[in-house]
Amino acid sequence: MAGNTLDLKRVSASTTPPPGVRTTPTVSKLIDTSTCIGCKACEVACQEWNDLPPETTVQLGTYQTMPDTSPNFWNLIRFNEHQTDTGFHWLMRKDQCMHCADPGCLEACPAPGAIVQYENGIVDFQQENCIGCGYCITGCPFDIPKFNTKTKKVYKCTLCTDRVAVGLEPACIKACPTSCLQFGTKDAMLGIAKKRVDQLKANGFDKAAIYDPEGVGGTGVVTILSFGDQPELYGLPRNPTIPLTVRLWKSPLKWLGNLAIVGGIVGTFVHYLKYGPKEVDGAGHSGKEGGA
Amino acid sequence: MTNGWTDIRNADVVLAMGGNPAENHPVGFRFVMEAKRNRNAKLVSVDPRFNRTSAVADSFTQIRTGTDIAFLGGTINYALQHNRIHEEYVRMFTNATFLVREDYSFNEAEGLFSGWNPEKKSYDKTSWNYELDAKGFAKTDPTMQHPRSVFQAMKKFYARYTPEAVANICGCSKEDFVKAAELITSTYPANKVGTILYALGWTHHSFSVQLIHAAAMLQLLLGNIGRAGGGLNALRGHANIQGGTDCGMAYHNLPGYIAIQKADHDSLKKYLETITPKPLQQNSMNFWSNTDRFVISQMKAYYGKAATAKNEFGYQWHPKLPQTPAGTYENWSWAFIFDHMQNGKMDGLISFGMNPVCNGPNTKKVISGLAKLKWLVVVECFEQETAAFWKPDILAEIGKKPQDVATEVFMLPAANFAEKDGAFVNSARWIQWKWKAADPPGEAKADQEIIARIFLKVRELYAKDGGKFPDPVMNLNWWYSNAASPSLTEVCKEINGWAVEDLKDEKDPKTIVLKAGQQLGKFLDTRADGSTLSGNWLYIGMYTEAGNLTQRRNNADPSGMGRYSEWTFNWPANRRVMYNRCSADAQGKPWDATRPGIAWNGEKWVGDVPDYKVDSPPEAGLGAFIMLPEGVARLFIPGQFVEGPFPEHYEPVESPVANPLHPKQSSNPLVRPFKTEWDKFGKAEEFPIACTTYRLTEHFHYWTKNNAYNMQLQPEFFVEIPEELAKEKGIANGDKVRVTSARASIEGKAMVTKRIKAMTVAGKTVYQIGFPIHWGFLGRGQQKGTLANLMTPPIVDPNSFAPEYKGFLVKLEKA
Amino acid sequence: MAGEQTLAGHRVLRYTLTERMVHWAAGFSYIYLLMTGLAFWTPWMFWMAVVLGGGSVSRMLHPWAGLIYTWSVWRMYVLWNQDMRITEGDRKWMQVVGAYARHEHDKLPPVDRFNAGQKYLFWLMFWGGFALLLSGVVLWFPEYIPGSLGFLRSLAIIVHPVAALLTIGGFIIHVYMGTAVVRGGFSSVIRGEVSENWARVHHPLWLARISGNAPAKK
Repeated sequence: MAGNTLDLKRVSASTTPPPGVRTTPTVSKLIDTSTCIGCKACEVACQEWNDLPPETTVQLGTYQTMPDTSPNFWNLIRFNEHQTDTGFHWLMRKDQCMHCADPGCLEACPAPGAIVQYENGIVDFQQENCIGCGYCITGCPFDIPKFNTKTKKVYKCTLCTDRVAVGLEPACIKACPTSCLQFGTKDAMLGIAKKRVDQLKANGFDKAAIYDPEGVGGTGVVTILSFGDQPELYGLPRNPTIPLTVRLWKSPLKWLGNLAIVGGIVGTFVHYLKYGPKEVDGAGHSGKEGGA
Repeated sequence: MTNGWTDIRNADVVLAMGGNPAENHPVGFRFVMEAKRNRNAKLVSVDPRFNRTSAVADSFTQIRTGTDIAFLGGTINYALQHNRIHEEYVRMFTNATFLVREDYSFNEAEGLFSGWNPEKKSYDKTSWNYELDAKGFAKTDPTMQHPRSVFQAMKKFYARYTPEAVANICGCSKEDFVKAAELITSTYPANKVGTILYALGWTHHSFSVQLIHAAAMLQLLLGNIGRAGGGLNALRGHANIQGGTDCGMAYHNLPGYIAIQKADHDSLKKYLETITPKPLQQNSMNFWSNTDRFVISQMKAYYGKAATAKNEFGYQWHPKLPQTPAGTYENWSWAFIFDHMQNGKMDGLISFGMNPVCNGPNTKKVISGLAKLKWLVVVECFEQETAAFWKPDILAEIGKKPQDVATEVFMLPAANFAEKDGAFVNSARWIQWKWKAADPPGEAKADQEIIARIFLKVRELYAKDGGKFPDPVMNLNWWYSNAASPSLTEVCKEINGWAVEDLKDEKDPKTIVLKAGQQLGKFLDTRADGSTLSGNWLYIGMYTEAGNLTQRRNNADPSGMGRYSEWTFNWPANRRVMYNRCSADAQGKPWDATRPGIAWNGEKWVGDVPDYKVDSPPEAGLGAFIMLPEGVARLFIPGQFVEGPFPEHYEPVESPVANPLHPKQSSNPLVRPFKTEWDKFGKAEEFPIACTTYRLTEHFHYWTKNNAYNMQLQPEFFVEIPEELAKEKGIANGDKVRVTSARASIEGKAMVTKRIKAMTVAGKTVYQIGFPIHWGFLGRGQQKGTLANLMTPPIVDPNSFAPEYKGFLVKLEKA
Repeated sequence: MAGEQTLAGHRVLRYTLTERMVHWAAGFSYIYLLMTGLAFWTPWMFWMAVVLGGGSVSRMLHPWAGLIYTWSVWRMYVLWNQDMRITEGDRKWMQVVGAYARHEHDKLPPVDRFNAGQKYLFWLMFWGGFALLLSGVVLWFPEYIPGSLGFLRSLAIIVHPVAALLTIGGFIIHVYMGTAVVRGGFSSVIRGEVSENWARVHHPLWLARISGNAPAKK
């Protein structure tokens, strides 16, 4: 799914500045869970557009297609039965890459150019540069990247960057029959979402909210939750952040470690310059024999 | 649909009941979501299960399967008791003002209407009628206060359906019912409109027609029929089921919903007299008085030049429904076909785009019937269970082996819907042309070629050998340029019809309206003298001199209400909302100016295509329902349906409780169980659990089990079980369970859910479970024998003859 | 037995062939691990992975090299764990380790087969290797760690480089000491032999022990 290099805003494990020069508005999916009917059109549209092979599944006592997304299945509607004191709710949320503004996968990725972020915010995996280390899996607070054990590469939603690049909406959006999925600039999506949240509040969902977590700089997916105070009900983390260890590993530790390595090498060199080798059979400056 | 898909977005309240549109009509459901988003419309879901529609509904009420009439009757009662009706509308557009005969009555204790004959177990329907005046018109009381007015009779009839009674029958809480009734009836003011969406959850019961009658009554009382955002909307299942019904698919109709000829209609004259209704009000338009034009034009389409006034336009060549020894007419609806087959009355069957082994109820009887045939022709795009019924694991269901069966089976490969041109008619009555996307594979042929080649061969045999009665075949109008594979454009032209001779204006014979050979433009272009030809009067207008309008694709919407009046052709007469005279008040002013249907502009009716005489001023008082002899809608239905003029709650034939209203007459008194060895019924003592069947959005009928993408979304047959019942039976989510009815036993994965709850019905705890269709014996994945219809009962609605797939009894155990 | 290690020409056998092979198995695998690991550690050193066959190959072989390293460290443990025990003398030695660095050997307590520095290096590589193994297994198969155990991955991602950095520190000193500083040390682990004189200077107690005329090692 290689996009145009002029659009590259961030490139994983890069020693040079990214080549992007364009300024494109950030795009976003809108997922209104309150109008999702769980029809799975998005699931199949995703597979068909991306020509992904069908998966073999089993019935596990739920309408959910499979427990989790997979290397060949990037878009999964999660179903949850939620009983409250006042009523029953069957919650459905389309789960896929959130396209974080501050992507943990990209942050964690050690392979140059394997994960990129475009100016429009799309985070995309470049499998030809992927080394299959799986660090992105660790970096992702949403548990999205999935490792294909055959190809030894990691896969996830591309936000149909190939479609978006030519002015089309992503395949999932195109397939959605209820317009619970919409696509546009993030500002526009937030505008629609705000209106809908107000409507939900007026209709008795007083905790309705937009899920656009700050911990990852906001996401390229604007999600409307009727129970905005309980994102866990939808399989969403409350305060997603890039794991502390990834941050540590990436920044302070990296510099500390590099300093230590360079320091070690320099130190030994200086030591040699000052003290030289320990000679045994030479002038005996290394000390008295047997004295040790 | 009285209205259309795109019109749903104009609704204030949407009642989804007897259907699960989010699941089964997800694309059309977008207009419900638009109503919700843009108008803050309320979606009310009433269903045995909390389903995908319920998931986005503002209100959900769980009811026991088959208790919908109780629920609707309760809502009617609620509307009447709290005066939540659109009174002016009811007075003007319904028969509420009509007086019913003095001898009409309903025995509340027995659950029977007047005229019951206990020996024959049927009704003498004479008393279910209006009191007529000397001219033969029905008497009315515009105040609706007369005790025998339909309004008062109805009020009395439904007074029994109190919230307590509804809760006791349906198994919901009284509070839930009242909340739902409050929402549903909230559209009674003139500026509010509500719609009802239903599907097979209503039509698959042994009282299905009355169920829809009840819903129509409710919509009429609320003033919702004929209005943008209103109506009573049947969501059709298969892509062209609407077209099939329009074009005479049911055994008792000719194309255009014209009653079929019966054996005792010995002349065209007698036939036309019998089927043409007489007006019951002076101001009734009684459009069916044109029946003769439609019938004779249709005969001309069948027999062409051979049909002349002299030979009654070939009337005697047309098949007529035979009489039974008992004096009624033979029934050749679905369940009866297989009963006849089981009883050895049939030699062969052409199963065209049908899979009876999976589709029909009580599968074992179907398999047994097929095994008694001499020959079976299956026309299909997949090898399916009917074509493979002779294979060991399917025959094992009836304890037979392939060597026991002599049926010769032919399978003709057919093109599927995307591999052929043609038209689909959707639920909104839009006749939409579609172009094929790919060529059919291998030897698969388009339907018209298969039919044509069979016909030509048969005709050739008749020509060669003579035969008993060659006339209908030899005289059939096979005029197509390519006889072996008629062009569907030509067929489309023929269904619309054309002038056979120059057509004179009926008022001014000097003016030629249409020249010979020109396409008919409107219904009344047809003539009863043989000068016009039309395959289906209802579709007139789809292929006019302006061309094939089913190919029209203009999505402009000047109405701003989703009318899209130049998008394809909408029967009848390109009318988007039927009965639209009801959208305006007595002065012809729309009830709601923001959602006008039609309006009187001083000269004519404007807006949608009027379902009315276009230049009849409102003060003339022409009846709004031009197709009915009353000129108004029927709350009380005189004589048309077999079990009564008002819908009464009867239990499904297999029910966990006796009817709490009248235990002695628990189920529909008119149902007639079949009597073969396969027609078995269970009692609640042995089979205590109510069960229903349904479809999944992930699958299409029994087709998509051949598709790997669909299969991955819903891989296996499953049974949805309430948590309380699962706990009682020690069943965990994902366990294998066995479900058994009086007819069969099947196994599947348990889906233990909070979405079905235990109910208290008539004082006892009742559970209900459900499972989807879609699996069978063939296809991808592990699915042998997981066929829902092995379980369903062989009982049918006595009016529509639709089987009771949606309510029966089972027992459940861990497998 | 002691006499067997005394060779002709005032030479003594310091490392058996097995010991040398194990050492170099550890050594080469460590160097490979270091190079590929550093490539993953920072893009500035990713060129090392490129040189070694590319990122994917490096990612694929790195864990296997880790297993070789683990095996060889384990073998070393079996061979040397007696010699590597930290004694009272080692603690004293460590207190004056600065003197060792300044080559002031007369200020140091006498040393047996390994001095305290070598012992601590060994234990650093041993426990470091252990931590690298545990965290490495998690990093090897991230796809099999369910989301609910995601903390394991997060932990591994920090434990692995920290442990690696510590061993790198040890490795730098070890290589520096073994090649540049302690003359004769490098050849000892190639050919296995040192001069008696060398042994007397660096490991007097060991020399005495193997010559059979020294006080028994306590």
